[in-house]
Amino acid sequence: MNKYKIPKKFSYKDIDFLKQFITETGKIIPARVTGISASNQRKITKSIKIARFLALIPYTDMHK
Amino acid sequence: MRKYEAIIILNPNLSSRVNDFHKDFEKLLKDNSFNILKTEDIGRRQLAYSINNHNKGHYLIFNLEGDSLKLSEVENKIKYNETIIRYLFISVKEHSGQDSQLLIDLKNKNNDSESQENLDKKVQEKVNIKSDESSVKENEASQAKENSEENSSDHNNETEQDDE
Repeated sequence: MNKYKIPKKFSYKDIDFLKQFITETGKIIPARVTGISASNQRKITKSIKIARFLALIPYTDMHK
Repeated sequence: MRKYEAIIILNPNLSSRVNDFHKDFEKLLKDNSFNILKTEDIGRRQLAYSINNHNKGHYLIFNLEGDSLKLSEVENKIKYNETIIRYLFISVKEHSGQDSQLLIDLKNKNNDSESQENLDKKVQEKVNIKSDESSVKENEASQAKENSEENSSDHNNETEQDDE
């Protein structure tokens, strides 16, 4: 049922892993869609937000 | 003592001065009694969006150990450094101790480009064998090219060793 393989440890540096959890427009996919555990969703959300700040992942597809 | 990770994005136009910055920053950290456990030089990377009209950035990652009060002093000092286009200090429970995914990706990329260069060389060698003596000048030109390529590949090797 769950299509994601979540490693025990991951960080904001694992860009390819985190990109599974954002839409084409750059939004974070909600937990009700991803279906992963709440704790993992929290960690992933946090990592994505750090990666966005460091320009590793886009905030949106509307960047100039 | 807390464990921190510092990520610093430098102005890509000043890439040649990275080593100077590296030394200065390490000195600054040591003056504030930080232990530097590991440094990673990711090099130039495409930014996901432009920051201050920069499309590329030179990434440096430091694994640190030190005092939280001293950290704010370090932050205050690098705040107005114009070579830095973005920085972030985050506290971590444990340092992974392994190479980050960013560095691994970079190494894989380098290996790919190197193997590509080797292929190009082989092709050029074949061309050299085929070419007649009358086209000595062309040969020389291609050899010069080869030499320059060798130099560039040597440079890649050096950078790799540095990373390790």
